[in-house]
Amino acid sequence: MTRPYTPWLLLALALTLAALYLFPLYWMYVTSLKSASEIYFNPPTFWPLAPDTSIYPQVWFGRTMSTFLWNSVVIASGVTAITVILGTGCAYVLARYRSVWVDVGLFLILMLQVLPASVMITPLFVGFNQVGLLNYPRTAVVLAAAAKAMPFFVVLVRATFMSVPRELEEAALVDGNSRVGAFFSIVLPLARNGILVCAILTFMSAFGEFIYSKSIIQEKNLQPASVGLSGFLGPNSSDWNAIMAYSAIYVTPILAVFVLLQRRIVSGLTSGALK
Amino acid sequence: MSRFFNSLRDGVGFDLVLVGAALLFLLALAGLPLLYNVLMSFQQVDMFTLGTLIRPWAGFTNYVDVVRQPEFWLVARNTLIFVFASMAGQFVIGFSLALFFAQKFPGAATIRGLFLVSWVMPGLVVGAIWSWILAGDFGVLNTILKSLGIIQETVFWKSDPNYSIWAVVIANIWLGTAFNMLLLAVGLAAIPRDLYEAAELDGANAFQRFWTITLPMMRSTIGAVLSLGLIGTLQQFDLFPAITEGGPANTSSVAGYWSWQMSFQLYDFAKGATISVMMFLLVLFASVIYVRSTRHEVRG
Repeated sequence: MTRPYTPWLLLALALTLAALYLFPLYWMYVTSLKSASEIYFNPPTFWPLAPDTSIYPQVWFGRTMSTFLWNSVVIASGVTAITVILGTGCAYVLARYRSVWVDVGLFLILMLQVLPASVMITPLFVGFNQVGLLNYPRTAVVLAAAAKAMPFFVVLVRATFMSVPRELEEAALVDGNSRVGAFFSIVLPLARNGILVCAILTFMSAFGEFIYSKSIIQEKNLQPASVGLSGFLGPNSSDWNAIMAYSAIYVTPILAVFVLLQRRIVSGLTSGALK
Repeated sequence: MSRFFNSLRDGVGFDLVLVGAALLFLLALAGLPLLYNVLMSFQQVDMFTLGTLIRPWAGFTNYVDVVRQPEFWLVARNTLIFVFASMAGQFVIGFSLALFFAQKFPGAATIRGLFLVSWVMPGLVVGAIWSWILAGDFGVLNTILKSLGIIQETVFWKSDPNYSIWAVVIANIWLGTAFNMLLLAVGLAAIPRDLYEAAELDGANAFQRFWTITLPMMRSTIGAVLSLGLIGTLQQFDLFPAITEGGPANTSSVAGYWSWQMSFQLYDFAKGATISVMMFLLVLFASVIYVRSTRHEVRG
């Protein structure tokens, strides 16, 4: 090595970069702790003069956040359940064979992965209206969002299945297992971690789903937290400490799960399909 | 009959059921709506015909009407700015960060992983935070830029027609950079170390090594990242209602948001569908590039 190499200097630089990049998150928490007048200080204070958490219960009850968050959980759970149940089997088959048909199937799934939700929402809304699904708005959103989430899930989980050695499954078949038995007792347990990571990712993205819920769910007590946030957010918003407190309550669980499972999520993402 | 059930339990029928269930689901909730969208773009859709499938045929009227809308070219220009500026920003910053984190120092992987929080956050929350950071009089970005001497006057990011689209671009760059960085880091890690050592022995400097080893070896990764960036940017929706709502006067509206506004704020579903179809053609173009550049990896 010709140049001076100081890992600690790099570490300091890395921490600075991370701090810069994560500044918006810091700003969210700091703003939520400021008083209604302090948020309009010019220049703004980088640390609240008198940190005040009273806005949190105020927003929680005033904005009926428990209802909104419960709906988000219901929708995200439904999306995750459908995606995992249907997607896992599909990914397994697509990983097991190699033929023109598998390529065609993969191509179709990749094509579906790229469809923007804003392209799909108009026909979905009109179609749901015709078959009467709009009377069950949360179910309609779950179905639409599951179709959106599934391609990504299939592509990622397929990569997990590809890393399960074929020989193990073949050995189970030779020992007299049926295909169903080998799938449930050998292949699935081996791929469990990868499937779990992808399921968590699916849950997280469905937890923040916005466009389908906004367009389909009209009743306020069925709307998820994202739609609840949009209710008092716009170009002319003024109660920023309340908005930031709402956002903080909304994302902190996601952030906590992500930080705890960071290593697994990152390795799950980088293995195989996204190389 | 029993042969049929046996095949389900222990043969190719098992595979067909597994793959068929998922494909049927996707066909019903993604394939059919897509076709329906194309159909609607050629029909007259209004409140009276909303509930029926057979509607008066409109031919290309909807397409002509959409192109004749006064804001059409503005939205088209905004879409191009949004897509290319976002992609460029995400890619350049993401690549720089990936190169930086490819250095060996304690905690590199962990710190790099922290960047990904931007990716798991709900888009609407990201939009809310950036909307506040970009605020004109009280926004922290203006304060920081002023104290660094980069700007003298307050910039009204969200309400100045010259900057409104850039407000959304800035937020979108923040949102997508981490994902770009992660994918590029995977590509960087796959380059054999000895190539660099050999080049160094031959006297190549850092710039030459980057130009003659890193870039050529990363070609397929870069292709995939760029097309994923294009697809992700075209899919971006949540930032628009959170930051500018397409305004002022459509100066920050893009095709996806415009289509949604047509359908769900003006209840003109035919025009909404027509814009969607136009946008779909753009996405199709991007996905062909994407599939071509990931084909080798996907087949494994």
